[in-house]
Amino acid sequence: MKTITLTIDGKKTAVPAGSTVLEAARGLGIDIPTLCHLDGCEPFTSCMVCVVRDLKTDKLLPSCSVTAGQGMEIDASGDTVMAARRDTVEMLLSGHAGDCEAPCLRACPAHMDIPLMIRRIKEGRLDEAIATVKRDIALPAVLGRICPAPCEAACRRRPQDGAVSICLLKQHVADADLASNTPYAPVPAKKTGKKIAVVGSGPAGLAAAYHALQYGHAVDIYDREREPGGALRTGVERERLPLAVLDAEIDLIRNMGVRFHQSTALGTDLSLAVLRKKYDAVILATGTIDPLLYEKSGLEMGERGLISDRNTHETALQGVFAGGNLIGESKRAIRALAHGKRMALSAHQLLSGEAIQGDESRFNSILGRVRSEEMASLLQAGGERRRVEPAGPREKGFSAEEAVREAERCFECDCRKPESCRLRRYADELHADQKRFSVGERGPVERIVQHDLVVYEPGKCIKCGLCVRIAKKEGEPLGLAFTGRGFNVRITVPFSETVQQGLQKAAKACVEGCPTAALAWKDRTPPPRKAPTKDTKDTKK
Amino acid sequence: MAAENDIRITDIDEIVARTGGRERDLIAILHAVQHTYNYLPEAALRRICEITEITPADITGVSTFYDRFRHTPVGKHMVHICTGTACHVKGAGLVYEAFCRELKLAPDEDTDADRLFTLQKVACLGCCTLAPVVQIDGVTYGHVKPDSVGKVLKDFLARKGRKPAAGMVVHAGRPEAGEIRIGLGSCCIAGGSASVQDAVRETLDEIGVSTTVKRVGCVGMCHRTPLLEIDLPGREPVLYDKVAPQDVRRIVLTHYRPDSLWKRLAAAVTRRVEDTFLSDEPEGFTRHGLHMRDPHIESFLGRQQHIVMELSGQLDPLDLDEYRRGGGFEALESILREGSRDRVIAEIEESGLRGKGGAGFLTGRKWKIAAAVQDEMKYIVCNGDEGDPGAFMDRMILESFPFRVIEGMTIAAFAAGASRGFLYIRAEYPLAVQRVNAALKQCEAAGLLGDSILGTGFSLHLSIMEGAGAFVCGEETALLRSIEGKRGMPVLRPPYPAEKGLWGHSTLVNNCETLATVPWIIRNGAAAMRKLGTKTSSGTKVFSLAGKVRRGGLIEVPMGITIREIVEEIGGGIENGRAFKAVQIGGPSGGCVPAAHADIEIDFEELGRVGAMMGSGGLLVMDEDDCMVDIARYFLTFTCDQSCGKCTFCRIGTRQMLRILEKICGGTGTPDDLILLEEIAHKTRERSLCGLGRTAPNPVLTTLEYFREEYEAHLQGICPAKRCKDLISYTITDNCIGCTICAQRCPVGAITPLPWEKHEVVQELCTKCGTCFQVCPNDAVLVQ
Repeated sequence: MKTITLTIDGKKTAVPAGSTVLEAARGLGIDIPTLCHLDGCEPFTSCMVCVVRDLKTDKLLPSCSVTAGQGMEIDASGDTVMAARRDTVEMLLSGHAGDCEAPCLRACPAHMDIPLMIRRIKEGRLDEAIATVKRDIALPAVLGRICPAPCEAACRRRPQDGAVSICLLKQHVADADLASNTPYAPVPAKKTGKKIAVVGSGPAGLAAAYHALQYGHAVDIYDREREPGGALRTGVERERLPLAVLDAEIDLIRNMGVRFHQSTALGTDLSLAVLRKKYDAVILATGTIDPLLYEKSGLEMGERGLISDRNTHETALQGVFAGGNLIGESKRAIRALAHGKRMALSAHQLLSGEAIQGDESRFNSILGRVRSEEMASLLQAGGERRRVEPAGPREKGFSAEEAVREAERCFECDCRKPESCRLRRYADELHADQKRFSVGERGPVERIVQHDLVVYEPGKCIKCGLCVRIAKKEGEPLGLAFTGRGFNVRITVPFSETVQQGLQKAAKACVEGCPTAALAWKDRTPPPRKAPTKDTKDTKK
Repeated sequence: MAAENDIRITDIDEIVARTGGRERDLIAILHAVQHTYNYLPEAALRRICEITEITPADITGVSTFYDRFRHTPVGKHMVHICTGTACHVKGAGLVYEAFCRELKLAPDEDTDADRLFTLQKVACLGCCTLAPVVQIDGVTYGHVKPDSVGKVLKDFLARKGRKPAAGMVVHAGRPEAGEIRIGLGSCCIAGGSASVQDAVRETLDEIGVSTTVKRVGCVGMCHRTPLLEIDLPGREPVLYDKVAPQDVRRIVLTHYRPDSLWKRLAAAVTRRVEDTFLSDEPEGFTRHGLHMRDPHIESFLGRQQHIVMELSGQLDPLDLDEYRRGGGFEALESILREGSRDRVIAEIEESGLRGKGGAGFLTGRKWKIAAAVQDEMKYIVCNGDEGDPGAFMDRMILESFPFRVIEGMTIAAFAAGASRGFLYIRAEYPLAVQRVNAALKQCEAAGLLGDSILGTGFSLHLSIMEGAGAFVCGEETALLRSIEGKRGMPVLRPPYPAEKGLWGHSTLVNNCETLATVPWIIRNGAAAMRKLGTKTSSGTKVFSLAGKVRRGGLIEVPMGITIREIVEEIGGGIENGRAFKAVQIGGPSGGCVPAAHADIEIDFEELGRVGAMMGSGGLLVMDEDDCMVDIARYFLTFTCDQSCGKCTFCRIGTRQMLRILEKICGGTGTPDDLILLEEIAHKTRERSLCGLGRTAPNPVLTTLEYFREEYEAHLQGICPAKRCKDLISYTITDNCIGCTICAQRCPVGAITPLPWEKHEVVQELCTKCGTCFQVCPNDAVLVQ
């Protein structure tokens, strides 16, 4: 077979004649983004995100379809190419009617995956629900009782018939967990041998310790009071937050291996300088501001409190992080918890020799306000038309049955493929701005739930036609079809049949092949394997 | 929907038996089903999938891609509102709204409550000189005004039952010398030539004279249709224009004077006949076989050079013998006898012939590439998918010179080594389809097509592929997909069709005007062609001239002619004494060239230099009353609708540009919008997959370049041409004498009739249709 030699990003390569530029680039280990391309499906040249530049003609070429030519010189990573890819992603995003993250999640300072928690409640899988909650929230039973719930303020259902009672649901999950014989305990990473001191055992300090320990570091908490809890113990009415609940959640943290040193005050019993020497990192979460004390130690004070980076919580002193009310007064415990989580991350990044970046902020497609005519599509998610009120006392929260009923009210605004969506990934990598090419109203939100396992959201479709090609390849009797033309082109099931009919055997391949969440598993995760239904004969070719 | 139950499975089976059941037959099957039911019932589509290899996904994809196919039942009659460019600038939008009002349609309805009429916008009916045009079933109405739609519908219903006049061939009877020629191109028919033809026959019957009544193709003088020419032996032929059926009798009697009748009728020949009578004296101008004293006609035709339109107005489109008497098929015969492919290609290369479909690729080079490909099966395709609004060259060529196209195509097939071919013709051109079909049959019968043509051993089989309404199919790769029975979605080039075309085989695709030029070149030699035109663009180009000129129509002019010469000499300048502002050349792919650049010599390169494009040859003239932002919006509406939707920039970019233009026309645009518009335009041009997307921004970019001040005025809330509805209002001034005409004609009752008093427009009710402005006898209506 004839061989073609070409140069990509200055690297020479030889490929069999007939290879595409994309194949040649991949052979060299050069990553080119693609959306409409899938190995094994014929190229369609639709998305144009795979463009490269032919240096001889200065033309942009879709690498998935262009055949490698003898002596070609290709730029696959230069600024022009990247800018062109960014433009393309921004064009696609301008019409993307969907959220990468649900509004509740975005509103939660601790960034808890609320929709996932709610899904698990609905499914009756409270063990998974608590794992979801505790990935981000150290004290959910406490928070469930005292949080002002910014998440509920952001809930899409709120203007319709009241927000989903997220806070009560969280309380329900946490209470059920506390009441169980084996409450959830995250498994820490392998011990690193590093040590972190946390000063203060209020919500920020407790959260910092909780998360830092999970990274595999040893954690000591120092607190001037006799008992841990800080403002949670002293600043909240008891009827709202019974001490038993607080103590139970603190005990869980203690059981994980955090060592508490109570009645030990910074400034009198120990000095920052000593802590810095003894520990690899110090997290300050004392809650109270004592300018004299901190300035003496070399920290800087601002108007609102101690100065620390908004994202990483780094202070003027290397290895010292500060958060919670120490850096600004707030009554919201959830904010303190979020600070704690971030401080632990920053300290961990420092200790593992990484750059301290804080939370990675990912690209987020924002749907914005839902128009009244779109509500119907979301209301299919079901649930009762008003919030479920606990029959018992507020303190007890929901019964199991009430929790499921309330959870069913969730619109499931979350993207079902927040991690695997390639559009989001490239938007991240190329620093895309969703608003750049958007003009006028966004496209309509539509959710088609006609399949046992699959949800189809046309507003998220980039019309790459991969599903059409896959369904055909898999030998679907009906399959999927392009309908219409131009901007209004959409993917439908032929003859106004349902998606269930259209995807009888290719559902898995289509969901996995779809580069966005236009086709996705209803439950965000692939369904458990049942008896194999796939016809091997059809998938062979 | 009772209709669903009316589907007879056997009907579908019969259709499939007739058309074939392969994927490539799908579009033909769908045409046939729609012809039977007026729409595509789902039961029928399901049946097709059962009995053919066509899949549900394919049938869904294809049947929703093309505009012609409908999935819901329609009313008894289809009302097609032409939204071509010429119709647009002459107010088609207002006419559409008027029909909606008249038929009491809700915003998303297209059929009236009685299910009598279904309203549909169509891309372009190709009757641009009669704009605005509306076609109800087969009947065409020209110059329709918003306040006359009621009359149009009434007239149509009154016509029902009367047999629509069909095309005819020769008047039976005892043969007599001389002939009467009636223009029967689509424009002429739309202009009423069928009734003229009926009247001629009636008159001849009445006076007992029988002579040849001949249908001839388009003369190009579409602004003067219907045309009637009387050619008697020993005399110069006489041409009459704008002939009304009631004039026919008198015209015929002028030439055929039976003694018994003459005395009685002579007195009846009124002054009015003199008006329509152009000339009866020869004046040395004989190139067109017509002799005309009328300076208008002379200047219309004088600057023209007919190659493609050779012998226009004289040939019966379907008279093969006549075509051959005029030199037809001589070129083919000489080529085949000589048998040298290389020599044909060399001759065409030498002539400098370039593709007339838009991009202007050298035809000879294209042939050479196709000829060099080794493939046991090669195809030839004539691209007659003229979807540009405002263009009707291909229609005229196919209707009037079908043999010429076939001859050119056969020569091209010989050069490339193709043995099968397709003529892809828009379904909107039924007359063209019918004539080409008839011409193909005649050629086969005469041994000019089929196996071993003229006994030379060279074989070629041609058939017609009817399009189904998708502008993008003019793009060659999309066109080939369409012939294959698929959605007309373009694919990346290379590979070019010459290497990998229909079903993976080498395919030569040429535009039908290009092919119609070929026989002339072979007969007259490459040098003769080179003598015409400019250095880079030899020969001629056919344009459809329409818009605000006095004389519109089809013209064939040498390359290198200036825009000004076309507008002022051929077109007779701007009508109604308005000022010449710009020409839009090349339709949705082209651009607006301002009057200031009117002296550029038209060829591929010059047009490209000013940001326009030859396109397929639509030439729309605009005056000071035309809003350039509105024109840009108009074209973007078209391209956005016609984009196949495949690649990101064309699908979304055209839409976003359109939205910005709508904002600007609506008076809510901002300076940032202009910047964004320009940015998207440049990127769509650079990043789109095919020619449609790459050229779609041209109308935007050229208007931004030459008429930026108009965009800026819109940002201030002013439409200088007073076209953009959101930015204007109608008021009545003190000039009003209280005649009440405006109140009577206002279609929405926004003016209360107050005899002898000053009238007033109720702004809340006013739909800005402009009727009051047009009908006011006292110039008392002010637009601002």
